[in-house]
Amino acid sequence: MRRRDYALLVSPSVIVMFALLVVPLVRTVQWSFQQVRYGQPGTFIGLDNYREAFSDPRFLSAVSFTVVITVTTVTVLVLGGYVLAVLVNRLGRRTRPFVLGLLLVPYVVPGLVGGTMFSWLFNDNFGGVVNQVIRALGLPQVLWFTETWANRGLVGASVIWFLLPFAMLVMLAGLQGVPTELLESARMDGAGTLRTHWSVIAPSIRGVIGFVALICIMDVLRLFDQLIPLSPQAVQIGNESLVLYIYNQAFLDGGQRLGLGSAMNVLLIVLIVIMLLPFIRDTAREGRNA
Amino acid sequence: MRNPLRPRARVGLAAASALVVAAGLTACGAGSRTGAETAAQVDCPVEVDSPTTVNVLAYNSSAIDPYTNAMVRSCTQGDLTVEHEPIDFAGQTQRTTATLAGEEGTYDVLETYGYIIPQLAADESLVPLDDLVDTYGEEYGLDSLNEGMREAMSYDGSLYAIPMQAQMFLMAYRQDVFDELGLEPPTTFEELRQVSQAIQDAGDFEYPLALPWLASGDITTAYDAALGSLGVDYVDPETMEPNFDTPEAAQALEEMQSLVPFMDPQVTTFDQPAVQQQMYNGDAAIAIMFSGRMSDLANEENTQYAADFGFAPPPSVEADGPQFSALSVDGWSIPSNSAVDDDVLFQVIATSVSEDASEASLPAAYPARDGVADSSDSPIIEAASEAIDNAPPAEPFPWTAPISNETRPVIAEVVLGQTSVEDATARMQQIATDVLAQYS
Repeated sequence: MRRRDYALLVSPSVIVMFALLVVPLVRTVQWSFQQVRYGQPGTFIGLDNYREAFSDPRFLSAVSFTVVITVTTVTVLVLGGYVLAVLVNRLGRRTRPFVLGLLLVPYVVPGLVGGTMFSWLFNDNFGGVVNQVIRALGLPQVLWFTETWANRGLVGASVIWFLLPFAMLVMLAGLQGVPTELLESARMDGAGTLRTHWSVIAPSIRGVIGFVALICIMDVLRLFDQLIPLSPQAVQIGNESLVLYIYNQAFLDGGQRLGLGSAMNVLLIVLIVIMLLPFIRDTAREGRNA
Repeated sequence: MRNPLRPRARVGLAAASALVVAAGLTACGAGSRTGAETAAQVDCPVEVDSPTTVNVLAYNSSAIDPYTNAMVRSCTQGDLTVEHEPIDFAGQTQRTTATLAGEEGTYDVLETYGYIIPQLAADESLVPLDDLVDTYGEEYGLDSLNEGMREAMSYDGSLYAIPMQAQMFLMAYRQDVFDELGLEPPTTFEELRQVSQAIQDAGDFEYPLALPWLASGDITTAYDAALGSLGVDYVDPETMEPNFDTPEAAQALEEMQSLVPFMDPQVTTFDQPAVQQQMYNGDAAIAIMFSGRMSDLANEENTQYAADFGFAPPPSVEADGPQFSALSVDGWSIPSNSAVDDDVLFQVIATSVSEDASEASLPAAYPARDGVADSSDSPIIEAASEAIDNAPPAEPFPWTAPISNETRPVIAEVVLGQTSVEDATARMQQIATDVLAQYS
């Protein structure tokens, strides 16, 4: 392809990426050093926004909650997604599309709607099916929305419910790419089911697993909309995610602390990069070896 | 040999199945309870020279919708189009800030309320309406709008919003339960505790009392109502000293704590719709919330208990004091940065508070137009008429909203038992002092 044709084809994407990614990113970094109100030029205040963020115990609590729920749920998502993909892969040609369709429902429902529907399972005001089961079993009442760890379990379960179909679907595609010869060889060498998965299949789709982990980490680190219905008391029980904290600080009650919000966004980007570093490095290495 | 790991995936069919199921699930919430097509049609004698669109920002509720819908239906004529998109209260709050910030805003008419008028007026974000009232007042009968409500929408001697309706706390109670147990509607917090205890002891209601004490929202209104019922404001406007170090500030918190045993343990997650739902379900026998939420309880489509509800003014914290209440007047304002002519906008908002439109809002709203509420025989309006005179006065100052917002987490901590009353009042005093420093 001639250089001119290449430039012509690539330029629309470059322009869109520049406008939608680079400009907002640069503006976010710029605002993080300013005091900014809507529609007005910012005032340079140095590192004050960063100092305020780090001096607020809520910020550190939000970082801690976000990291813990990310690590926990992504671990479950990768393992659960793999197991589910293996099970779906064994289904017959007629059954599989319908099972896949049902499993994909949580993923195509908007996060806020899904979170609200999920919360109703635990809310007596809206039926509270799970609570009814707990009562029927004679177990003590669980305060899903006001007890810290019960609520964390609820939020984590909702995140997994929402993202598991994605993890499963990508893993399923990965499983279908494993060479038949490799599996036959493993079987002839006497490898059992677990051994085959651990030593043959999983390493073969390592890139796919890394991709699932990478996307899930990014998604869970930006946890926000599901917390609105699932954790209405997030601030008081320490279940405020980093993005919810940024929203509460920058916009709640018509707030206009855009500079502080930008500084926290920059810190969130740094956190995302740190948590994704191993996966980015792996992906880059695979790219070089390809 | 067939590869067991490579059967053909019919992803397209699967995705379609998922979409169909999802569409079925989400469609359950589609539709609107009120719409412009069923709203009051009133005379809207506004003329424009060229095609003009008026964008209205107003949250959806049973009390506000009749006015918004009357405005949209009546004034969309000829070259004039009035548009309103559904939004909740939190969304309205955020968009109000955003639209008022730029040189030209997105909205031309804003739904405002007494609580935020001082702040927006002090920032010169709203158009003073006095001259427009002089011009159009007689034509639209604005003299009949309640004087007290007009004052609530004024700041520094100027009117910044045309009042449409007032909301105050009302108490809804299960008349059948009260009759069965021989109880009377409580008039003080002490009586409220006794009545709640009696209902709880009777065994049918584990948590008989339902109050909107959402930790990230309504709880601050409840505290303000308790403090106001004890006759104390957030701030003494003369000395500019916060009042959180007074005995009443601590007592208000203690009185709130005293009600906790009668409420759902997760009460700090309940906003007003959640309290309504508790009453619909028959999970609670007493609720106190804004009057605009009450007509939904009396709607048979919402609950089987609709005919069993009685309505009364809320109790006061102490005998003979003002009620545990918050008086909120809603109205229409014109943002300073609207590109549409102020005369056109004023006539549009004046139309929505006409006599016919006000009558159509009953009993969901308590109209600002004098005499309209008196014509209603609704028990909700009767209770509201009784309650409005004994609600604590509003605090029409720019610092009220920021102090309320910033002290909210501390109040929630007290109710949740995470902070002592003494520590909380000390922190609230400091927060208020810091806020007031911006206004000194």
